[in-house]
Amino acid sequence: MSRRVVLVDDHGLFLAGVRAELGEAVEVVGEAGTVARAIPLIKELDPEVVLLDVHLPDGSGEAIIDAVASERPGVRFLALSVSDAAEDVIAVIRAGARGYVTKTISGEELAAAIERVASGDAVFSPRLAGFVLDAYRSEQAGSELDELTPREREVLQLIARGYLYKEIAARLDISVKTVESHVSSVLRKLQLSTRHELTRWATQHRLV
Amino acid sequence: MALPAFAASSSDRALAGVCGGIAEALGVDVTLVRLVFALLALAGGAGIVLYLALWLYADDHTWPAAIGLVISGSLLLHALGLSDRAVAGIALVAAGLALAWRRGAGLRPDAPLSFGGYALVGVGAVILLAAGGDAPAPLLAPGAVAGGLLLIAGPWLWRLALERDAERAARIRSDERADVAARIHDSVLQTLALIQRHADEPKRVASLARRQERELRGWLYAERPLGDDGSSIVAALSSAAADVEDVFGVRIELASAGDAPTDGAVVLAAREAMTNAAKFAEVEEIDVYAEVSEAEIAVFVRDRGVGFDRASVPPDRRGLSESVEGRLERAGGSATIVSTPGAGTEVELRIPRRAS
Repeated sequence: MSRRVVLVDDHGLFLAGVRAELGEAVEVVGEAGTVARAIPLIKELDPEVVLLDVHLPDGSGEAIIDAVASERPGVRFLALSVSDAAEDVIAVIRAGARGYVTKTISGEELAAAIERVASGDAVFSPRLAGFVLDAYRSEQAGSELDELTPREREVLQLIARGYLYKEIAARLDISVKTVESHVSSVLRKLQLSTRHELTRWATQHRLV
Repeated sequence: MALPAFAASSSDRALAGVCGGIAEALGVDVTLVRLVFALLALAGGAGIVLYLALWLYADDHTWPAAIGLVISGSLLLHALGLSDRAVAGIALVAAGLALAWRRGAGLRPDAPLSFGGYALVGVGAVILLAAGGDAPAPLLAPGAVAGGLLLIAGPWLWRLALERDAERAARIRSDERADVAARIHDSVLQTLALIQRHADEPKRVASLARRQERELRGWLYAERPLGDDGSSIVAALSSAAADVEDVFGVRIELASAGDAPTDGAVVLAAREAMTNAAKFAEVEEIDVYAEVSEAEIAVFVRDRGVGFDRASVPPDRRGLSESVEGRLERAGGSATIVSTPGAGTEVELRIPRRAS
């Protein structure tokens, strides 16, 4: 069963490229290029996954998530961007996106990421995994951020090193499901941390 | 002429939020504003009328507000001991000036004249002078004139200052623009020219584009100068990755956690590992991850390529043993190479951070 997907990006060329690369793997039910158009479109179509550019001409991806999430809780968001400033990435994740991938991702990997997000799991690119590790690494003791467990840290490190979930599972001798649940748990910790610590970290470390 | 704007505060309010609004507009503590109103209220109720007038003003009822202001001022002067006639005179002068001001009068030569306003000022001044019997009035008349001048010239001077600020901001903007243009010219435009020249070599075009993207991103988000290798580990690795991409037409994903001043050995070894992967692994993509902690720098270079069997590597291929392992060991670190034929290779480089 192919997933129903809405693409939100203001670069027409890129949209056409993604559509072509995804081919039959997913069903692209709608496209929008602005925050103003995307919000009613997503509410109307109620897709399974929204592929979301972090930056749009009239606002940010976060604005769309904020506007849609309460009304359409079933819609899952996957951020897709070339803008890799840490603060942008962390902000969109904290707004509720279930993953982040860069636009250089291959069509096949993107389809897999959409499937993973649609089934409720999280998708971290190597770069995002690096950001998260750095954020937790620079935390001081006594922080209110939920600490990562050693296993979660291990999984994140392998993601940063470029391992796919199934390779991580093989290496750590656990199931792919377990890898997925570790990543989802990290995502939950990121989204639930009440302090602005992460955002502040991201702003301080304007990392590439 | 634009009137200064302020809105009643919705968050900081005791009555209608007027004090809160003023405090916000002026950037002072609301308690101070309330104290001033309280003191004025003691002066014949002037503060109360003023409060009502400003409330009207915030609600966009400009004219009732102006009348309220004049009444409030009159009450205040009355409370200060001026006679009815002097107060009436001053009130007329003030009303006349306000009228003139509203009509756009000012010190500029092209300012329109407001005859009604000036007539009121004249009548007021006559009444004021006729109230000569009162002791403070003769002293007040020059004061009123000076105040009036200030009222007329003030906005003009204010705007002059604003214009100067705007001019300076524009100059800074244009300097910045020139700076950006110069940087873009040295990097992005050069790359675009190269891409046009190599349009029939897709791999080369892709790697040129990747390299430029990396560089631009470094400049935009990490404030690294365009074209600079940088002095940090991550910057140096990024530049090494770009070189390898250029030469071999592969794509290198670089992720990192933490950063530190650059370390020659680990960067050179990582570059060698990337080059090896690009040359022999038969892959299009290589993953590189750098993790810098307090104690050490770790760099992982990974490919999903053909892999190799260590035993079958001819001894004259010195790349891995010399440039990677040997280099790291001499620098006090270690290199681990894990390769499985058919399942790719990962080179792990670790080096303790030098005490600094």
